[in-house]
Amino acid sequence: MVLAGLESALLAGSVWALVAAFLLPAIAALVPAAPAALRHAVPRALAAAACALAAVLGGVQLAGSSGALLAWWPGLPSEPFTLAADALSAPFVLLFGLVGAASFAAHAPSGTPAGAAARLALHAGFALCLLCVFLSRHALLFLFCWEGMTLLSAALVAHDLRSARGRTATYVYLALSHRGAAFVAYALVTLASHAGSFQFGALAEAFSRLEPHARESLAWCFTIGFAVKLGLVPAHVWLPLAHPEAPAPVSAMLSGVMVKAGLYGMLRFAWQMPGAPPEQWGTVLLVLGVASALTGALYAAVESDAKKLLACSTIKHAGVLALATGLAALLAANGQREIAGVALAGALYHAIGHGLAKALAFLAVGEAVHAAGTRHLESLGGIARRMPRVSFAALVSTLALCGLPPFSCFAGEWLVFQALILGFSAGAGQLRLLAPFAGAGLALAGALAVAALVKLYGIGFLGRPRTEPAAAAHDAAPRTAAAILAFAALPFAWGVGAPLLAGALAAPLAVLLPGFEAAQLSEHAGFVLVPAGLQSSRIAPAVAALMLGAFAVLARVWLRARRGGAPGLRIAPSWACGAKLDARMQYSSLGFTKPLRLIFEPVLRGERELQVLEEGSPYFARKYRYRSGLPELVEKTLLAPLVQSVLWTSEQVRRLQTGSLHLYLAYLLATVVGLLLWAR
Amino acid sequence: MPAALLVILQTALLVALAPAWNGVVGAIKARLQMRRGLPVLQRYRDLAKLAGKETVLSEDASPLARVTPYLVLGAALAVCTWTPVLTTRPGMGFAGDLVMTVALLAVMRVLLALLALEAGTTFGGMAASRHLALSALAEPALMLSVFTLAIAARSTDLSRISAAVAATPDAWISPSHLLALTAMWIVVVSETGRVPVDNPVTHLELTMIHEGLVLDVSGHHLALLEWAAAIRQMLLLTLVANLFLPWGIAVEPSPLALLVALGAWVGKLAVFAVVVAVTESVTAKMRLFRVPEFLGMAFLLALLALTSDSLLRG
Repeated sequence: MVLAGLESALLAGSVWALVAAFLLPAIAALVPAAPAALRHAVPRALAAAACALAAVLGGVQLAGSSGALLAWWPGLPSEPFTLAADALSAPFVLLFGLVGAASFAAHAPSGTPAGAAARLALHAGFALCLLCVFLSRHALLFLFCWEGMTLLSAALVAHDLRSARGRTATYVYLALSHRGAAFVAYALVTLASHAGSFQFGALAEAFSRLEPHARESLAWCFTIGFAVKLGLVPAHVWLPLAHPEAPAPVSAMLSGVMVKAGLYGMLRFAWQMPGAPPEQWGTVLLVLGVASALTGALYAAVESDAKKLLACSTIKHAGVLALATGLAALLAANGQREIAGVALAGALYHAIGHGLAKALAFLAVGEAVHAAGTRHLESLGGIARRMPRVSFAALVSTLALCGLPPFSCFAGEWLVFQALILGFSAGAGQLRLLAPFAGAGLALAGALAVAALVKLYGIGFLGRPRTEPAAAAHDAAPRTAAAILAFAALPFAWGVGAPLLAGALAAPLAVLLPGFEAAQLSEHAGFVLVPAGLQSSRIAPAVAALMLGAFAVLARVWLRARRGGAPGLRIAPSWACGAKLDARMQYSSLGFTKPLRLIFEPVLRGERELQVLEEGSPYFARKYRYRSGLPELVEKTLLAPLVQSVLWTSEQVRRLQTGSLHLYLAYLLATVVGLLLWAR
Repeated sequence: MPAALLVILQTALLVALAPAWNGVVGAIKARLQMRRGLPVLQRYRDLAKLAGKETVLSEDASPLARVTPYLVLGAALAVCTWTPVLTTRPGMGFAGDLVMTVALLAVMRVLLALLALEAGTTFGGMAASRHLALSALAEPALMLSVFTLAIAARSTDLSRISAAVAATPDAWISPSHLLALTAMWIVVVSETGRVPVDNPVTHLELTMIHEGLVLDVSGHHLALLEWAAAIRQMLLLTLVANLFLPWGIAVEPSPLALLVALGAWVGKLAVFAVVVAVTESVTAKMRLFRVPEFLGMAFLLALLALTSDSLLRG
């Protein structure tokens, strides 16, 4: 009873505080006498508090509770709009809350006061829609929030109107997102017409009663729609364009949380509601997942724009999520529920683990590129000595995104590997054929991601500054830096506490795979992670981390004992073989991954163009222009021809419109005759 | 023998004998080339000398550079605790498995690459760039080749894999096992910086990969990193010896069985040393951009091992 009351309070508090944070800046702007704090400081604190409440709500829900409702009548016939957290949405609400709180705490005003207030209002509105996507229990409300989430985030992507890059990104983002939303909307409305109701409960019942053919086609519609949001190949092209253009705190929510809304949608509408995912769903997701993981990791490795690199890495991790989900579906369809549970636990755990790490990366790297005034790695460098606190957070997120223990992405990927190996041994023919390639793809993508992220931190933050602004960078405002540093503890905790925390996913896992007991994922009082019920292999991230630390200290103690005091350490200028050291002697970002570009040249197919501007002697020209680029392969081979053919078709259709009234009348006549013949 | 003692004994063996292996390879190579060569124990003297020396850090280095050598050594030692050296009885097996081992080796690699970029000089960046590109191919091959064994053992626990392979003495002659072993050997050659991928005794910076990473490091930091590299090499060789060819490993840790296992392990390492020394004496280092083909071959062999496993075992 008390718990239910607490939950309703949390739910109402988080939603209404976000509404207030959304409206306050606008109201304050209209009232001339309003104090300045109402425009930014107060709504920001409100929004951060709302997100913290949402995190608690997600946690309470995971701990298992009744589920409180927030309902109101929109004035439409039939039913009330309902918001509630349930077992499946709980992990996503938790992720939203944690990332949102950090994102608002690090949201510093910049530019004109009006612009800053507008950005904050949009940020709060976007967060509200995102939260309500997870909480909606009503189809129309869900669609409304889904659209709101897309449109408000698109406004934030377009926040710099002078940037042509931002405009292109917004256009591509909106175009692709709306294709996806159209599939979702069609499927939801069709389902609602079958159910005669918009409530999720009724929808689920109607969905499972549909005949198999109709059920599968609807589930596929949902899957296509949500795959766009998740950023799976070939609908991933919007992601590296749009995510970097938004302000850093918003990028953190886009990459950390919004992408996971795609996974949530798939799990809710293509798995939970119909009772089981359609046939071949697992295979398709597995294959798309491997393709996305490889594409994302490869393009991240060759990218020189710091924020774009992070966005590409999001595609890699989205691929891992799809791979794990597809694997779980395949195994569940084969009847191996226990191994399926391990794969699904890996997917959910990785969704949160990656969300935390990626949000931290965007916040920290965002501060650094803001201070240095450029996102280009070729113009950064030396940040680690100038912004030590932010750089520490960036280092933690780098190691976490590399999938290294003891940080957050390792445990989820470990579970996926376990499921792959056990599934291969126990699986049916199809899986036996797919599993080696999935394992190979996952391992290769992981290794490429390591190269990408080492480049991000090594070239961007270490070494000597490559430009004046980078040399003049100084640490972020104390409050922002403190917020980012505090948030850096989460990816570490999520990795070290994996055995304990994976058990907390019991409720959502039981919704999708009834009978799977997630508590079996941990043993020895939550220190050891095992693939549930199978006891075949085990890891203890906390113990491994502790041993690493202990051995490091031991080495230090040994050195001290040998010398009878602290070993000597002298600071001196770097040695450059006698030459005067110049920042341009360092490896550049482009040069750093040149070997990878050469190795993967057949896939990447880079473009080079050398133009002689001014002829000198017959052998040496005086002036050259050199241009090189890596056009996205999917964009070049799949989407560009598609766009071309649409343009060509519209060009042909335009021939019908000559402007002659007689011809139009003839069309009318022809149509009427045609219709009469057809209806006869 | 109690489990804790076994863990300490195996870790100590790996750590203490690690520098010697390079010495042995060097001595055999010197004999093959009609030279006298360095004493086998010279590596220990070098380490002792370096450990007593002052470290010079670049003024451009971040605070990370001060702790990296300790963390790298710590990661190597952590892996040592659960690697089966003499017995398949798991001691610290609950803490780490195959995936954790590969991940901690990756931690070492990432930290070393970052360390190489700290000083802002050219050679560090060059070595880090090459190192990451090559291990981007080598790491998946390593993972896949051991997966072939993991699938047969239905576990990624190193001790269990070793025990499972040891329990079926004829299994090693199967095509998937041999393919995986070949892939694994190529990976070991590449990851330990041996000819034909890299030359461990080179003094030309432009051709260095593994040596180039620590070019800016000196004094006791260098001692820690050199030792960590030797341990890492020992770990990889032990994985080959005890996962792919676990003959003689003690299933039950009785004193006699442990002595036999010690003999078998040292014997296998000696054979590896001869193989490496002969290879290094008769082959030349590859051009850098031929190496990806070599490693790509390992990757394909490992993939082939996995798929042939699925086809043949059916």
